[in-house]
Amino acid sequence: MPQIFDRSSNALARMSLVLTGLIVIALGVMLDQLQRSPWVTRQGQRPDQPVPFSHEHHVQGLGLQCQYCHTTVEKSSYAGIPPTRTCMNCHAQIWTDAQLLEPVRNSWYTGESIVWTKVHDLPDFVYFNHSIHVNKGIGCESCHGRVDEMPLMYEQNTLQMEWCLNCHRNPAKNLRPTSEIYNMVWEEPTPYRPVWCAATADKTGVPTAQDVNCTTRDPNSGEAGGQMAALQSPPGPGQGTEGAAPPIPVPIPSAAPYQKFTSQDELGHFLLVHYKIKSPRLITSCQTCHR
Amino acid sequence: MNTAANHAEDAIGNGVKNEKQAAAATDEPMSLAQVRQKLKGVEGKRLSTPQTKTNLRGPRLSTPQTKTNLRGPRLWRSLDELADTPEFRAAVEKEFPTAAQEWIDPVSRRGFLKLMGASMALAGLAGCTKQPEEPIYPYVKAPEDLVLGEPMYFATAHPFPTGAVPLLVKSSEFRPIKVDGNPEHAYNRGGSDPLSQGTLLGMYDPDRSQHVLYRGENRQWEEFVEAFTGKVASTKDGTGIYFLSATITSPTLARQWKAVQTAYPKARLVQYDPAIAGTWAEQGIGFQADLSSADVIVSLDADFISGPAYPGFHKLVRDYATRRKQPEKGMNRLYAIESATTTTGMKAEHRLLLRASEVPAFTAELAKAVGVGGVNPPAWDWTAEQKAYLAALVKDLKANSGKSAVLPGLYQDRSVYELALAINGALGNIGKTVFVSEDTVNPLPSDQLADLKALVADLNAGKVDWLVMLDSNPIYDAPADLDFNSAFNRANIAVHLGSHLDETGQISHWHVNSAHYLESWSDCRAYDGTVSIVQPMIAPLYNGHTAHEVLQSLLNQPMLSPYAAVRETWMPVIQKNEKVPGDQELAWRKVLHDGWIEGTAFDKTAKANVQAAYHGAVPTPTAKDSLEIIFRPDPSVYDGRFSNVGWLQELPKPVISLSWDNGALMAGALITKLGVAEEDVVELSVGNGKAQAPVVAMPGHPQNSVTAYLGYGRAFAGRVGSGQGFNAYQIRYTWAPFYAAGSIRHVPGKWGVAITKSHYQDHRSTALLGQGSGDNSLEGDEALGPRGIVRYATLDEFKANPNFAHEGERYDTPSLDTSLFPNWDYSKASTENAWGMSIDMNSCVGCNACIVSCYAENNIAVVGKQQARIGRTMQWIRIDTYFEGDLAAPRAHLQPMLCQQCENAPCEQVCPVGATVHSPEGLNMMVYNRCVGTRYCSNNCPYKVRRFNFLLYSDYETESLKLMRNPDVTVRSRGVMEKCSYCVQRIQEAKITADKENRPIRDGEVITACQQACPAQAITFGNLNDQTSRVTKLRAMQRSYQVIADINTRPRTTYVAEVSNPNPELEETPVEHDPAKG
Repeated sequence: MPQIFDRSSNALARMSLVLTGLIVIALGVMLDQLQRSPWVTRQGQRPDQPVPFSHEHHVQGLGLQCQYCHTTVEKSSYAGIPPTRTCMNCHAQIWTDAQLLEPVRNSWYTGESIVWTKVHDLPDFVYFNHSIHVNKGIGCESCHGRVDEMPLMYEQNTLQMEWCLNCHRNPAKNLRPTSEIYNMVWEEPTPYRPVWCAATADKTGVPTAQDVNCTTRDPNSGEAGGQMAALQSPPGPGQGTEGAAPPIPVPIPSAAPYQKFTSQDELGHFLLVHYKIKSPRLITSCQTCHR
Repeated sequence: MNTAANHAEDAIGNGVKNEKQAAAATDEPMSLAQVRQKLKGVEGKRLSTPQTKTNLRGPRLSTPQTKTNLRGPRLWRSLDELADTPEFRAAVEKEFPTAAQEWIDPVSRRGFLKLMGASMALAGLAGCTKQPEEPIYPYVKAPEDLVLGEPMYFATAHPFPTGAVPLLVKSSEFRPIKVDGNPEHAYNRGGSDPLSQGTLLGMYDPDRSQHVLYRGENRQWEEFVEAFTGKVASTKDGTGIYFLSATITSPTLARQWKAVQTAYPKARLVQYDPAIAGTWAEQGIGFQADLSSADVIVSLDADFISGPAYPGFHKLVRDYATRRKQPEKGMNRLYAIESATTTTGMKAEHRLLLRASEVPAFTAELAKAVGVGGVNPPAWDWTAEQKAYLAALVKDLKANSGKSAVLPGLYQDRSVYELALAINGALGNIGKTVFVSEDTVNPLPSDQLADLKALVADLNAGKVDWLVMLDSNPIYDAPADLDFNSAFNRANIAVHLGSHLDETGQISHWHVNSAHYLESWSDCRAYDGTVSIVQPMIAPLYNGHTAHEVLQSLLNQPMLSPYAAVRETWMPVIQKNEKVPGDQELAWRKVLHDGWIEGTAFDKTAKANVQAAYHGAVPTPTAKDSLEIIFRPDPSVYDGRFSNVGWLQELPKPVISLSWDNGALMAGALITKLGVAEEDVVELSVGNGKAQAPVVAMPGHPQNSVTAYLGYGRAFAGRVGSGQGFNAYQIRYTWAPFYAAGSIRHVPGKWGVAITKSHYQDHRSTALLGQGSGDNSLEGDEALGPRGIVRYATLDEFKANPNFAHEGERYDTPSLDTSLFPNWDYSKASTENAWGMSIDMNSCVGCNACIVSCYAENNIAVVGKQQARIGRTMQWIRIDTYFEGDLAAPRAHLQPMLCQQCENAPCEQVCPVGATVHSPEGLNMMVYNRCVGTRYCSNNCPYKVRRFNFLLYSDYETESLKLMRNPDVTVRSRGVMEKCSYCVQRIQEAKITADKENRPIRDGEVITACQQACPAQAITFGNLNDQTSRVTKLRAMQRSYQVIADINTRPRTTYVAEVSNPNPELEETPVEHDPAKG
């Protein structure tokens, strides 16, 4: 009986084995990439919204504070989506005829909600709390990106669990003074742009945010004392790249010695201690986000 | 329904065999042939075979015999267990009994492999789900005080015929999501009960009626009002206008009724509540007891521990339990004389079993013995034991004059109430432990049964033109002898105001959908008389209306809202309270905020009208060999008003652990005498009425009597309650509302009931002890023996040896180095909080409030009767009832069992996907999203506290239920394991709050849902790293022990061992009821 397969088919058989392996690997890599791709995470996508609301215009252009609309960000797990009334506070006076604002006026007159599409959508089994992040020195910008440069809102980060854990495993790299939470242009300290911080003794019952004062101007330079540094006015709209404290009149005890920080690592670890950030072991525990 | 259940059972029976083979083959070194041989003819958990019948009860033992037999089987948890039938042993060998792996659709092996292949291939993709786009609906105008995501709390009260329950309701975005007792109210101080907890689901019940109907067609409320007021006005004086209402508990409604009465003097009001009519509560409850200073408590068929059906439940239980928390400082002693097994009897030091009709005679004997004049106890042949009991009781009572309390049963003859008052008077308790007030929680006391009879007479005489029924359902619950159904048709127009289109609503001309108490304004009085304003938590979901509006529509200001009416009633009182007469509005708001009006409690100092001598007749007991049928409101669904609340239907009733049904509850001796088995059908007859019911054994029930719970057999309750159980109102008469002479006979058929008790067994007991010879209790051997699941001592034993809870073979925890796994570091330096719980076995009264509270807090699904029958209830906490001693007169130990949060958790070690892991604070976390449903964790759990979603139990569809869910807890889907989390959402909330305020979490800041609901404060939760916390102190007590800790699980939940305070003159074991003598 003649051989059914030619000798060359041996090579083909071997090749097919290798190919199968490669295909399986390729499939795996593909799925892995797909899972992280913007197609799944919606990172960077700008969904259609009823009103093409521009954060850029309102934040950078007009200088609205984040909390003007997102009122409960320091108090609740939700930052809060502004009610139509918040829009109408101004738009009852200005741009009253603008075609773009028709859905807003419509909502105001009919009492029906403006139906936005969620941009930052966590899975339902994740319980994220804005207030604790904001109170512990994570700025809006750290997660949401430069909202002041977004004419249309999009998701800056994947919001996937690996991204959350990235920070929860090492929070120091993203911590900033709580006075700089709403600062869109905060930059981490460098030897050229140092940050000075002073901490007073921790008092139980007094939020940790009140224990630490930071400034970007040398408090020892005589020209501006510690008191002055803390009272720096925030940058005007579209102005400057250097961040500064919002005008919170916190008296600074004169005894507090200022420390100079020239890297995020140093500053982060300083704040980690003074903001009493829980250990990575505690904040990476499943119960932190899942119930 | 009956046949459907049987079919299902047959289908399940087949599944059982396969399952059993599989289980037996893996668990025991037995050949397959042996297993088959062993399992021959076994069909699920049925007790129908003749040998089972005889085994079920076993030979009757006298007390000494029982004692000698107590070597091993001192405790047992169900009758099956005591009988130790082969079926039972087969069942305990499995994790989830009966058809645990049943497919809903039969799938062939080939089909199964195909499906599995496909799912394996897709398993990787499952993680790649792309979330759908979700909309945001912001407010148009946001409410001023709302912080989205932060709950708010509002005070209100649950109006209940035996006294209102003051509440504090958690509201999320103005949706009530959790009902709890008002912690600041002096009456219940935060405690609640299963019924009040269940009212939340009652409000969101999707089956509530949503429209005003006239002859089945939708109408507007205004149309009804027009027709109604037009008619009433045309009568001039109200002739022919009859109101039939549930017991009126609202002083404002009473005031409105009086105004209607003035305007229309011939209009009639009849109040009827089936569980109130014929009791002393219908006359209003002027009887109050203060058990905090009572050393001896006597219950004369007064089931004050089971639930709010007994007036003052919350306060009585709390005071009772408080006096048992520190035995070294003295504790009370409870004597229970009872006619059906209740938790009151099970908690009592000395329980005397009497048939219901014997209780008045016994009370009379007691009264005579303590010196009440004018009592003539009927001649009765008391047994020696009963005489001894009476003598000891009298002696103890006399020794504790002024420090005792005698509580009369609500469902007893009127003479029991009168005599109990006289006894308390003779003992000098009045004014010390017992108070009688003139005012009552029921502002319009009436003789409900007589009124109802008069109404039926008027109906039959054609005098009734309009019959307006306010929140009442007489077609279902009127006594059978009145033949209300045919009388009803004689009314010209019948109007039904009700929450559901129920039996009465179906045949009424007008049906008006009523608003729930969480949706409307009203007022009511608690047991102590304190007035609470019932304030709405949400606008009526279906535009319902209340009795206030119906009555108000007849008055001068027909549009006056219930809010205005309630304000009108109480503003004068509130103003009078104000020391500085000032801002009315502020004073009113304070009342709403607090939840009660100061200074409205009943005057307890008023001279009580207690007769020194009693002249009324005391009924003679029925003949000892005649059968008595006892009617009681159901512990879960009361008189039927909570029938459609799934949480309450699925709740295992105290003592018998029966869910989804009522039944003919009877003693094992009667079961043997009738030659029936559990789940057989019997026909109960009283007079001409007949009702068929399943046989359910109730340990400790008097022989020759059968207990039937009311509230079942509803035809139009809704999707949950319709068709469950049997209707005991069919055999209930006005002349015998709470016990009647009747007869019983076996009829063909089977009635599958869902008894949840034997479903969670630890199969190692067989291997461990090698016992099981027919009259043995496997679990009993363990529970009281080496396992020490239940540890208890008498007060004397405890004083002699305070360390009794740790002195037993294998009672103690292995040392920390006995584990293969590295130990967790819970030192204060490592973690600020280490959570732990302590449960006081002495305080737990088994009322089930914790279970319902857990349902609401943790979005637990209701599985339905068929699933409950095969052991798939999802309750995260259960109350294990361990019976001890003779079947005829057992004693029970109630043990709440929930996830023990082991530090060395068996579940964590076997999870292949890391779905159950350990938190640094010592919790066993369950990560639903990782769970793939292998159920290894549940197999490996020695406490059997894990629950698996075999099917899609959670309701993702019904809109109204979505509003009810706790937004802080995931709703679990099919194929996911779940279990108690120590309310981790509350822990996280507290941690974030404390962290923001830069302080440690305060002791008592985190309260678990079960702890919050407990009226007896049996559960304490807190931080073990805080040396001053209450839980740390409780754990440090010598009586604290851990359950099954000898297997090195290191549970975080500890139990405080029971101490009882028996009267040395009576035997320590409960007095036995001798069925031979009656």
